[in-house]
Amino acid sequence: MIIVQKVNKFFGDFRALNDISFEICKGEIVGFLGQNGAGKTTLMRILTSYYLATSGKVEIDGNDIVRHSLLCRKKIGYLPENPPLYMNLTVRDYLKYSASLKDVEIKKQKMQVDRVLDDCNLKDVQNKHISILSKGYKQRVGIAQSIINDPQVLILDEPTIGLDPLQILQVRQLIKRIEDKRTVIISTHILSEIEQIAKRVLVIKNGEILIDRPISVLLDEENISRFVFVVKGDRNEIEKVFINSKEIISESFDSCGDVHSVKVKVLQNWTNHNELIHKIIRAKAELVEVKKLKPTLEEVFISKVSNQYIK
Amino acid sequence: MDKIFAIVKKELLVYFKSPIAYIVLIITISVFNTFFFTIIDQNKEATLRDVFLVMEFLFMFIIPLLTMKVFSEEKFSGTMEFLMTTPTSNTQIVLGKYIGSLLFFTSIIVFTFIYYLIIEMFGSPDKLAVLTGYLGIWLEGAFFIAIGVLTSSWTRNQIVSAITSYVILFLLYFSMIYVKYLGGMSYDIIHYLSTSTHLKNFAQGSVSVSDVVYYLSGIMLCILLTRVSIENRI
Repeated sequence: MIIVQKVNKFFGDFRALNDISFEICKGEIVGFLGQNGAGKTTLMRILTSYYLATSGKVEIDGNDIVRHSLLCRKKIGYLPENPPLYMNLTVRDYLKYSASLKDVEIKKQKMQVDRVLDDCNLKDVQNKHISILSKGYKQRVGIAQSIINDPQVLILDEPTIGLDPLQILQVRQLIKRIEDKRTVIISTHILSEIEQIAKRVLVIKNGEILIDRPISVLLDEENISRFVFVVKGDRNEIEKVFINSKEIISESFDSCGDVHSVKVKVLQNWTNHNELIHKIIRAKAELVEVKKLKPTLEEVFISKVSNQYIK
Repeated sequence: MDKIFAIVKKELLVYFKSPIAYIVLIITISVFNTFFFTIIDQNKEATLRDVFLVMEFLFMFIIPLLTMKVFSEEKFSGTMEFLMTTPTSNTQIVLGKYIGSLLFFTSIIVFTFIYYLIIEMFGSPDKLAVLTGYLGIWLEGAFFIAIGVLTSSWTRNQIVSAITSYVILFLLYFSMIYVKYLGGMSYDIIHYLSTSTHLKNFAQGSVSVSDVVYYLSGIMLCILLTRVSIENRI
């Protein structure tokens, strides 16, 4: 659906994107990750034809984005980082305007506006001026305009920025509802969000693709495991056990009376479980529970990206 | 065409939902009324010739206020990114915005038709001169709007846009002052470029191809440059 080949983008002497190449299939949901200034927004702007790439090629559904710009734009729904809203217009007027500009047939415009008002839970504010809406509503109006023409490709730049947890959940549910039919590219700093929505991530750093993998593969690749040991006994003795075990890095030690919860980090191939259990028993403590924690995308991202930073 | 119409409609909606539009409309009509009655009272003639010349002078101040936000506000608020990523061509965007401003300007002109009715009641005005005068002032306003839309596409700051428009309009309007120091070809060029030269002919009831070409080519050039300007966005 989307093919990006050796795309470079310069702003004067500054190289914002460096030989970016990837492909995204129809129906795929991809998360763009990276620090601020990594090049995510520039890449999204090239995909939406707002910027022209300095060199390289971008195709949307087989159409070159430069030669068939209007055709490509017709297939794309885009929510920029700051929702592009006309404050003097009402929500309905704005969506109607968006529908007109996005080639929605005049006969179907009312129906489409009603549909997105419904999808984005905006019916109760449809006749209110956008200027008086809360940030959450404004964000949803932005999302509504991006899906008004039923685009094949949906590009969302930080769709949940500045929203409260409930609003984030609503936006996530909305994206989940529309994902079946569309290719979705989503950029966000909230990695738990990407983990729940996307199936693949592209990590961008300094204008280059650092990682391009399905999330499940990325999580399996993580060579660090985390465990929680719940141990009953003398705190000092238990602390000594964990501190003296060389292959274990203690991350936290929480106590409630004589019950202690120790979160540890070990290498994926760590096999000395039995030795540690023996040490705990020798310290006259009782092992209540051992739980292996599933690695999160956030942990993997930080470990992978921070390693690169150190290098 | 549907998209141009949609942009025009939205521009007018935004104009008429903004208090500034009404303030400009009321102030403009009030100032025009004052000048109209003063001129008629002094000249004691059933003609709008001098009224048109005053209107031209005042439009030089008013039009940049109307056009300063056409593109600069879109750039400032981020809606330009929305506009440019919809399947709408740059020409459609520029024409939609231009026609929207032109229609708002036309509504101001329509309010002044009452002047004709007044002089018609008290005298026998030259109908052709009034008609050509209105055509001239409308063409001149259309040219000023094209300049305002162009300068608005250069910046995200509305004040900068208005000031740039004023500089260009003042140069075009007052250029005749400097003509007396020049001679030969320079005189001819500046004489042709000056807006006031052309409107005088219209106000006196004579329409020449040269005058119409001046306005239309100026409008087309500005629209073309605006299209290029919004295309070059890094």
